[in-house]
Amino acid sequence: MTARHLFALRVVPSLPVRQAAGSAAIAAVLLVWWFLTSGVTPEARTISPSVFPSPMEVIRGFPSLVTDRNLIGGIAASLNRVFLGFGLALLVGIPLGIVAGSFRLIGAAAQPISLFGRTIPVAALLPLTLQMFGIGELQKVMFIFLATAPFVFHDTARAIASVHDRYVDTAQTLGASSADVMAKVLIALALPDIYATIRTMFGIAFGYIMLAEVVDAKAGLGFIMLQSQRRGMPEHLVATLFVISALAYGLDALFRFFQRGLFPYREDHD
Amino acid sequence: MTSDATPPPASATPPPVVKFDRVSKTYDGGYTAIRDVTFEVDDVPGHMEIVGILGPSGCGKSTVLRLIAGLTPQHPATSGTVEVMGKPVAMPGADRGFVFQDYTSFDNRTVQDNIAFGLECRGMGSAERTALAREWIAKVGLDVDRDAEKYPHELSGGMRQRVALARTLILKPRVILMDEPFGALDPGTRYAMQDLLVSLAREVQATVFLVTHSIEEAVYVGDRLFIFSNAPGTILRQMSTPPPDRPARVMQREASFLDIVFEVRDIVDGIEESAGAAT
Ligand SMILES: Nc1ncnc2c1ncn2[C@@H]1O[C@H](COP(=O)(O)OP(=O)(O)OP(=O)(O)O)[C@@H](O)[C@H]1O
Ligand SMILES: [Mg+2]
Repeated sequence: MTARHLFALRVVPSLPVRQAAGSAAIAAVLLVWWFLTSGVTPEARTISPSVFPSPMEVIRGFPSLVTDRNLIGGIAASLNRVFLGFGLALLVGIPLGIVAGSFRLIGAAAQPISLFGRTIPVAALLPLTLQMFGIGELQKVMFIFLATAPFVFHDTARAIASVHDRYVDTAQTLGASSADVMAKVLIALALPDIYATIRTMFGIAFGYIMLAEVVDAKAGLGFIMLQSQRRGMPEHLVATLFVISALAYGLDALFRFFQRGLFPYREDHD
Repeated sequence: MTSDATPPPASATPPPVVKFDRVSKTYDGGYTAIRDVTFEVDDVPGHMEIVGILGPSGCGKSTVLRLIAGLTPQHPATSGTVEVMGKPVAMPGADRGFVFQDYTSFDNRTVQDNIAFGLECRGMGSAERTALAREWIAKVGLDVDRDAEKYPHELSGGMRQRVALARTLILKPRVILMDEPFGALDPGTRYAMQDLLVSLAREVQATVFLVTHSIEEAVYVGDRLFIFSNAPGTILRQMSTPPPDRPARVMQREASFLDIVFEVRDIVDGIEESAGAAT
């Protein structure tokens, strides 16, 4: 493979080449980071340690992040809120979405409300939920719920509605009742798309929870980051960032794993 | 639909399998696809007809099939009556099977479960319907051991249409509606599918309506031909053709067969020319 071939338009390189490219980019970022934060004394550094820590400081900060700052408890608190709030969003959004996608009159009725829900800025949901639910766990759960439910609903309805008419026609000429069409055709064929929505929205919900925790919380990853900033411990802040990133990746990998098992007939798993 | 209330005449002869009486269809936009289509296909025990339907594109062939099936938005007709076995068509049902040109296998079901779909809707038990489905996999020329557990995306176009045929025939429909079912297949596969259709339609004793753009296919498979005029479509000619009693590949090369094909082609070309002159 020549260098010219590597830069050809839209030609997909082999997996090792792609991985090498990704690793090289990470190495470059680390190198720049290391260079900008290196120096024997704080004054000798291009970026002062009070502004941004060096890679080694972040690594050395990990043990105390776990022991002193209760990282594990923070992860548990954040995940718990996401599971509750997002779980509630699925419980409400998916059945309603199925109904709205199957019965077009109900879909039309829900359309403006759904649009309103999806256009509320997340930032606006913070004061709103604080106003409505006070400070505490309920507010965080409801924040996640309100931020994700309209999207879960909308995407589910769209997945159901976009099942092609020819499948419905076929089922009916094979003697399917309306209930059969809904269960065996509409839901069955839309399920992979609904699952893909759940996977994407879960990732977004996991990102959103930090927002609520930064504003007000007694525990959670967002809380740890805010405290780190206030106490002047940037190495904990940055280390938490890496933990969040790894966690998000791990959870998504779990979703992908189940996606492969659940829908072997779909090849587009990424 | 004024004649809904009139009871069928009391007589010993069974009602026609399909009867169109001055059927017209004007779509919501105001476009009239078919006008005053009238025909009868009689129920003659032991002689199940295959009706080939030819006509220029857009003349309403699919509209006619979907009216028989009871599928919206073609159903209900704007005027006239559509009757199947003496009863006005009210909605789709398994007594009128449909094979579409588009591949309509359910992606989430294996070949076996696709074929068992209708039986499942009837409430047949899992073991029983699986056994029947496997019988039909073999009947349509697929390999039970190799293909039963495959998903549609692993099948070729010809195999998918075999599945579609099996899925319909397993329900023993009285009428089979086929809308260019072999249109996307290569010629060799097409011959094989024509032979398969003829033998299986005889086996399940079904009346078949086959819409096709291939004159050879219509003349070969059909016992009878309907030739439609330009839109708004109406039946211009009905003619009988020799029954398909030899393999497609053999019969479609015979001189007597080709004579009929040329005769039909002249009629069809005549229709298309008149359309060209009109516009
Ligand atoms: N749902 C619909 N709404 C409005 N017009 C329609 C609809 N379905 C079909 N038509 C019109 O009715 C006419 C007949 O359509 P139809 O599909 O029955 O033709 P066809 O003979 O099957 O054509 P082809 O050979 O191209 O499949 C066409 O002009 C088409 O545009
Ligand atoms: Mg058509």
